[in-house]
Amino acid sequence: MSFLKRIYRWIDVRIGAGELVEKELTGYLLPRNINVWYSMGSILLVIFTIQVATGILLLVYYVPDADKAFHSITFIMNNVPFGWLIRLCHAVGSNMMVLILFCHMLSVLFMGSYKSPRELNWLSGFTLFLLVLALSLTGYLLPWSQLSFWATTVATNSVGAIPYVGGFLVEFLRGGKLVGPATLGRFFALHVVLIPSTIAAVIGAHLFFLQRTGVSTPPFGLDDSKNRWQGEGYRYESHPGGIPFFPNYVLQDMTSIAVYFAFFLGVIFFAPHVFFPADAFVPANPFQTPDHIKPEWYFLANYQTLKIFPSEFLGLAVQGAVTAFLALLPFIDRGAEKHPLKRPLFMVCAVGGILLYLALMIWGHYS
Amino acid sequence: MNIRQLTCRCLPLLLTLLFQAVSVAAQNRPVCLQCHESQTGRGGAVVKPWQGSVHAENGIGCQNCHGGDPNDPVNAMDPSRGFLGVPGETAIPSFCGRCHVGIRDEYLQSAHGRALGRGGPTCVTCHGSHDVKRATLSIINEKNCARCHAYAPAAELKNAMVQTEKRIETIDERLKVYKGEGVDTEAREKALFSTRNRYHRLFHEVDTAKVTGESAQIDAELDKIQQDFGRINAERQKRKIIGAGAVSGAFLAALFFHLLRKTYD
Repeated sequence: MSFLKRIYRWIDVRIGAGELVEKELTGYLLPRNINVWYSMGSILLVIFTIQVATGILLLVYYVPDADKAFHSITFIMNNVPFGWLIRLCHAVGSNMMVLILFCHMLSVLFMGSYKSPRELNWLSGFTLFLLVLALSLTGYLLPWSQLSFWATTVATNSVGAIPYVGGFLVEFLRGGKLVGPATLGRFFALHVVLIPSTIAAVIGAHLFFLQRTGVSTPPFGLDDSKNRWQGEGYRYESHPGGIPFFPNYVLQDMTSIAVYFAFFLGVIFFAPHVFFPADAFVPANPFQTPDHIKPEWYFLANYQTLKIFPSEFLGLAVQGAVTAFLALLPFIDRGAEKHPLKRPLFMVCAVGGILLYLALMIWGHYS
Repeated sequence: MNIRQLTCRCLPLLLTLLFQAVSVAAQNRPVCLQCHESQTGRGGAVVKPWQGSVHAENGIGCQNCHGGDPNDPVNAMDPSRGFLGVPGETAIPSFCGRCHVGIRDEYLQSAHGRALGRGGPTCVTCHGSHDVKRATLSIINEKNCARCHAYAPAAELKNAMVQTEKRIETIDERLKVYKGEGVDTEAREKALFSTRNRYHRLFHEVDTAKVTGESAQIDAELDKIQQDFGRINAERQKRKIIGAGAVSGAFLAALFFHLLRKTYD
């Protein structure tokens, strides 16, 4: 018996590693018609891990002080060995995380994987989506550049449109009447500790729900693509005769992750400034408002919605209603059919919603 | 003190107090802006030009020139807080010269400076007071110069400086591009600022031979900055080569995992 096998046996007899591998990896069967969209979750886990790792490395040199933050980022980008790479990985990675999250959620929507009994999977996923947006918003301020300062000013201002408590909320978010050193302190604490730890906890819950409900069967390539669960009792959706998670689907995950890395590294090395307008490299100046301050691409539709309604409150209310509708979708859409082409109302709403979102985004960019 | 003087002195103070009472929303803005923005006439007319000036661009606020306390609405214009107010005509060169020391000395030695108080131009005659723009050769033009004397001698001087001016402008543009891409340009900007100042001191000269000699030295300084640009570009090229390897590696890994999966299928 080789030395490695002896170590494995030593561990196996103590914690039952072999049984665990059989249950969770080689014996964990997935639907035979599983597709590439199911690997989005794994890509997101990798991105989140990279964000945490690069975030910790950035913390070594970043100084969360309004007088020093911008210079510390400049120092990281120009003087720290590989600092530019770490910072770009973190900044580009945050955009990628939102992009892949969109893909993940859209695939769940179109494949009807949010339908019962997976309401909790959807709710935890939707919560993660909102938390990632909050993480991006709070991280945006930390470089203390003109862009981050004024984008945060605009973003926090919009909260003021909420009746009665709007003013209080703006002040609470900013730690004062205006965006300033107190805002930086708050956003730093939220970005570095509170939101990431909450995300980690909700990821745990999301994976737990996935583990308990089992992987949903994609509706494609089946004669019957209806959801058969009637709420009669707890049921784990098993896939007898399916493909093993390890090695088959792990290799699909690895393929998707490698393709993601090719795209991600392509942006970092060849188009690093696609997410950085020139104002991102000018220190924050409260006395000089830049001409065209725009939020990040994923907030452009929200930004434009606030502008097209006669009052900001109405814009906020519409956004709140859309968010609530999406969060509660599994409770609203109770139909059994999962195949998108057999759900005409869903298709009209989903495709219309995506087109409207893209139109608002483009309008927001050019407005 | 007559009523007009009393009004002139007290009105800003009263407006400041009123502004403080009705609005605390702008607590982090200097009180100078809070008050002057709400004024009409001369008092309010200075804000917008300053906001578009090279001074505002570089964080030079009201108090940096006029003194006073920008955080205390009540005592902002108190001389005991260093408030200087508006300088008289002959005091303007020393007012601006607190920062622009070299240029002040050059100016005072020049024909312009020697005519100070006797109808000669002060700094603000050519550069403006609040809407101060980054000085370029375009300031030397017939419209400006012919207000006091013939344009020909000024044009001769301008011709001797045109090439250096172009180089400074090109380097400045390149620095802006690098800055917009996250390159730490602070040291190079300072070097260019110093070189540009040295060059601008020549604006006040009338000796063409001296201007030509100085221009050669300034060119040598500009060469150093441009050599730095070469280093930045070489580093970027190196990164792109590494990036091409990394992207190719990721694609190859994807292909490998895909083919390996096929063997299991």
